[in-house]
Amino acid sequence: MKRNNIIGGIFFLIVGLIFAVYSRSVDIGDWSEPGAGFLPFYGGLIVIGMSLLLVVGSFVRMDAAVEPFFPESDSWKRVLSTFLALVAYNVLLRQLGFALVTFLFVGFLVKFIFPQGWWKSLATAALATVCVRLVFVNLLEINFPKGILGF
Amino acid sequence: MNLLFCFLGVFMGTLVGVLPGLGPTAAISLLLPVSFHLSPVSSIIMLAGIYYGAMYGGSTTSILVNMPGEAASVITCLDGHQMAKKGRAGAALGIAAFGSFIAGTIGAVGIMLVAPPMAKFALAFGPAEYFSLLLMGIVIIVYMSSGSILKDLLSAMFGLLLGTIGMDSISGTQRLTFGILELTDGIGFIPAVMGLFGVSEIFMNVERAVVTTLVTEKVKNLLPDRQDWKESFWPIIRGTVLGFFMGVLPGPAPVISTYSSYALEKKISKTPEKFGTGHIVGVAGPEAANNAASSGAMIPLFTLGIPANSVIAVLLGAFMIHGLQPGPMFISKYPDVFWATIVSMYIGNAMLLVLNLPLIPLWVKVLKVPYTILFPLILVFCLIGVYSLNFSQVEITLMIAFGVLGYLMRKYKFEMPPLILALVLGPMMESSLRLSLLMSQGDPTTFLRRPLSAAFMIVSTTLIVLAMIPGIQKKRAKLKEKLGDDEI
Repeated sequence: MKRNNIIGGIFFLIVGLIFAVYSRSVDIGDWSEPGAGFLPFYGGLIVIGMSLLLVVGSFVRMDAAVEPFFPESDSWKRVLSTFLALVAYNVLLRQLGFALVTFLFVGFLVKFIFPQGWWKSLATAALATVCVRLVFVNLLEINFPKGILGF
Repeated sequence: MNLLFCFLGVFMGTLVGVLPGLGPTAAISLLLPVSFHLSPVSSIIMLAGIYYGAMYGGSTTSILVNMPGEAASVITCLDGHQMAKKGRAGAALGIAAFGSFIAGTIGAVGIMLVAPPMAKFALAFGPAEYFSLLLMGIVIIVYMSSGSILKDLLSAMFGLLLGTIGMDSISGTQRLTFGILELTDGIGFIPAVMGLFGVSEIFMNVERAVVTTLVTEKVKNLLPDRQDWKESFWPIIRGTVLGFFMGVLPGPAPVISTYSSYALEKKISKTPEKFGTGHIVGVAGPEAANNAASSGAMIPLFTLGIPANSVIAVLLGAFMIHGLQPGPMFISKYPDVFWATIVSMYIGNAMLLVLNLPLIPLWVKVLKVPYTILFPLILVFCLIGVYSLNFSQVEITLMIAFGVLGYLMRKYKFEMPPLILALVLGPMMESSLRLSLLMSQGDPTTFLRRPLSAAFMIVSTTLIVLAMIPGIQKKRAKLKEKLGDDEI
């Protein structure tokens, strides 16, 4: 818990600093006529104060054993792979098109996150792509990027 | 068409509510993009249906597989699953459905009676009252969250700051947009909510190797018999009244009302030893309380524009996306939306009763879908849903970023409900604050000189002080253990 609080406190300290410093470039105004930067500035200062309290308080407090961040030895691989798959989906959506990128995305996750057989992965990917297309493109008439396949 | 959207809402809500790990907040978040393309009336009818459909779906898994679909269904596991083990799953599911129907119907009547006079009372509110009320709403959610008040307040402040990103509504100045067009209107509510509640949930779940799906009991005899009705009737009525009035108060009322109803019924029962062994009263009362609280929680939303919990906060966001501003003027400005929502509650509850009981074999099949197949589909739904809003990859990026943020917040034990509530209420709070200071010429004591505003401020301060008292901190931590992560 101590480590959690220190890391979290430092993160919010940086957030508070960003808002407080940035708001000086817009009109803070004063108490009788608050400007656009009023809440970001004073809110940022409050966050800085609270973060420092959290960090200092955590250093002072004694703590029990530190909990591991990941519950299993290969948890980090699954989380990172899922995150990278999401990023890849976003990056490739326009280039490859909605159908192909959805097929690859689902196929990758089913096959590699909790490993399944190739047939199961490909079948799930195909079915998911068809269902999503039916709901969003055919039923809701939303236009998605067609990409290199043209559909 | 609205009947169709009502049915779609209760169906989809029940479907997502049945899925373990996705509570009503995630259900509404995931399905928000679908409603985006509908008219405001149809959208709100569908989202309201999703809300109480998800509540009902959670109790199905509690009874059948002893795994609550959401925090408010935890109590139903105690007696509901025991009934299922004795071959009485049908009676348990049936009384849960009937109890929810009766409570939901009475709750809808309650909204009709309570909401209009409450809205009239709220017309007396000025900017100072609004600011103090919104602040009190956030403080109450912070109070109901986990043990560390400082960390929860930090989450809330972060949400407030995030709410300032975009164009200032008063001066038109761009704030922290970095030239990105999509940020001009501020951080998108849907990408934020889907990231925080949907994507981060997936990240948490993929950490652990998947457990095989649980075996379910065969379900038969869905109608409760005469004896079941005799035992359940008054617990349903008591649960309804208790749940409705608890729902009006900010906080995790659907969850707390189920515990309160169970405790009440056990206390006044002539056979308290039967509770926990498959006693139908242990299902009837809490399920009624749960549904009535869901109805009651709509009242502060419609009349004050204050969400009573994180689920209603997401609904509030949906209202605002459609250009509807909940508050004292809501009923008079949008009578069609208000009354359509009330009527849809009657119809939706009837649909839940008539359609969901025969659909139980379908829900059982859904429960058997392995998570390895389910989670990629949920992610695709999130990605497509967010992209379909404005066809913007920036919004997908925002959703992924909030997914990472939500994941790290869960790992480092920072609560998300205060953040999301502050993100939703922040712009209103900021404009109320600035208007109040303008009108009082910079005098901050205006918040204490006006009686209603002072009352809200006193409540907020009292709660923060109480939360810092060690004895109360322990009780909050125990409550947090019972409630779970996101159902505040």
